Amino acid sequence: MRTKSLLIGDIRFQFKYGFYFLYAVFTILYIAILYMLPGRWREQAAIIMIFTDPAAMGLFFMGAIILFEKGERVLNSIAISPVKPYEYVISKLTSIAIISTAAAVLIGLGGRVISNYIYFILGVFLGSCLFSCIGIILAVNIKTLNQFIVATIPAEIIISLPAIAWLFGFKPLWLILHPGVCVIELCQNGENAFLAMFILAFWTFFAAVYAWRKVRKSFKSLGGIKL
Amino acid sequence: MKPLYRSFAMFIKQIFKDSMLFMVCIAVVLTAFFIRFGIPAAEKFLCSYFNKEAILLNYYLLCDLFLALMTPYMFCFASALMMLTEYDENIASFLAVTPVGKKGYVISRLIFPAGIAFIVSVIILSIFSLTEWSVWMIIIICLLTSVSSVIITLFLFSFSHNRVEGMALGKLSGILMLGLPVPFFLTNKFQYLFSFLPSFWIAKLCISENGIYLLLALATSVIWISIIYKKFSRKMI
Repeated sequence: MRTKSLLIGDIRFQFKYGFYFLYAVFTILYIAILYMLPGRWREQAAIIMIFTDPAAMGLFFMGAIILFEKGERVLNSIAISPVKPYEYVISKLTSIAIISTAAAVLIGLGGRVISNYIYFILGVFLGSCLFSCIGIILAVNIKTLNQFIVATIPAEIIISLPAIAWLFGFKPLWLILHPGVCVIELCQNGENAFLAMFILAFWTFFAAVYAWRKVRKSFKSLGGIKL
Repeated sequence: MKPLYRSFAMFIKQIFKDSMLFMVCIAVVLTAFFIRFGIPAAEKFLCSYFNKEAILLNYYLLCDLFLALMTPYMFCFASALMMLTEYDENIASFLAVTPVGKKGYVISRLIFPAGIAFIVSVIILSIFSLTEWSVWMIIIICLLTSVSSVIITLFLFSFSHNRVEGMALGKLSGILMLGLPVPFFLTNKFQYLFSFLPSFWIAKLCISENGIYLLLALATSVIWISIIYKKFSRKMI
């Protein structure tokens, strides 16, 4: 029940600050660009767009969301409320993943690149949660937005480079252990999609637990006093 | 002048502390290296693979233009994020009543970063461009890209109420760059749908070197700046 209320609150917050509007604009823009591209490029272009934007939005926005909540003392209020840190994390991950998945499905439909809906939706949803977890892990310890952006660059490179290499044909089987590669494999409904689903779920769970521990620690040290 | 320099020094110190300045410079240099060496290598590979004489060659100028716009864009984006942080923490209002003043604050956060970006982009473009550029053309294009990037700082600061909206609008502001590839890919009259973007006229100017486009690029930038500046000014009070 508490998680549901938190989730509704987060969705309202994201709606108010233009996330839904932004992704509506970008989805239309991406679909328009896809239609301008030659047919044989469309699938790869659509997957790159989905992977680097809607799926990765948590990594981009989490710093701003958490810094804003710190500034408005929202976290202080949540910390003394009955809300548990894991509920806070789940709400953040789910609210962002809803927008990511909706935008990705629309781009996928627009570009006609979805061949297996279950794998596609799972890939984007779990991938988005993973990116958001990394966003939370980085955001809890930073003070300014510029700091956050700088901190996300290595994470983005580590996740994106092997995934893009996989998309363009560099496909040794061991690389399937990489979470970014799993997202691509699921979105493309590749040969190893079933395996990728479990590996990605493991990575997401692992990242979520780490994010939860970070949030729990930060809730205990809010207001300058370590509890 | 002294308080003004102090305010600017504060800005530089902050983005140094965040490593943002360092990262912006690294990102610019890395992109410049990628464009200078990566694109011709990719062109060579693609041409031999598809057995064609030129694939990317026609878009070398577009890569150069992207390079000229990227430096001021990144500097101005960093500046806008910092201004939003200062606004959230009320530092902007405090500075406005100190000897720095509102005007000084605006100069140190808008004009100085754009000025530095202009110098850096002139250097970057002179060293790393893929096509032949005359000195005057480099100066004119970098000046135009720096002026048009001021729109980004103004836009982000004026229309976002906090850092979250700032990030959302920051993504949206990328659309301002969309005008660059338009004249390269759309040659019919539909290209003029993008004529409200200064970047569109900057690209047109580079393609045909017609003085009219210089005026149009400058005019669209000035119109955007003067419209948004009113809102910016109201927010600063």
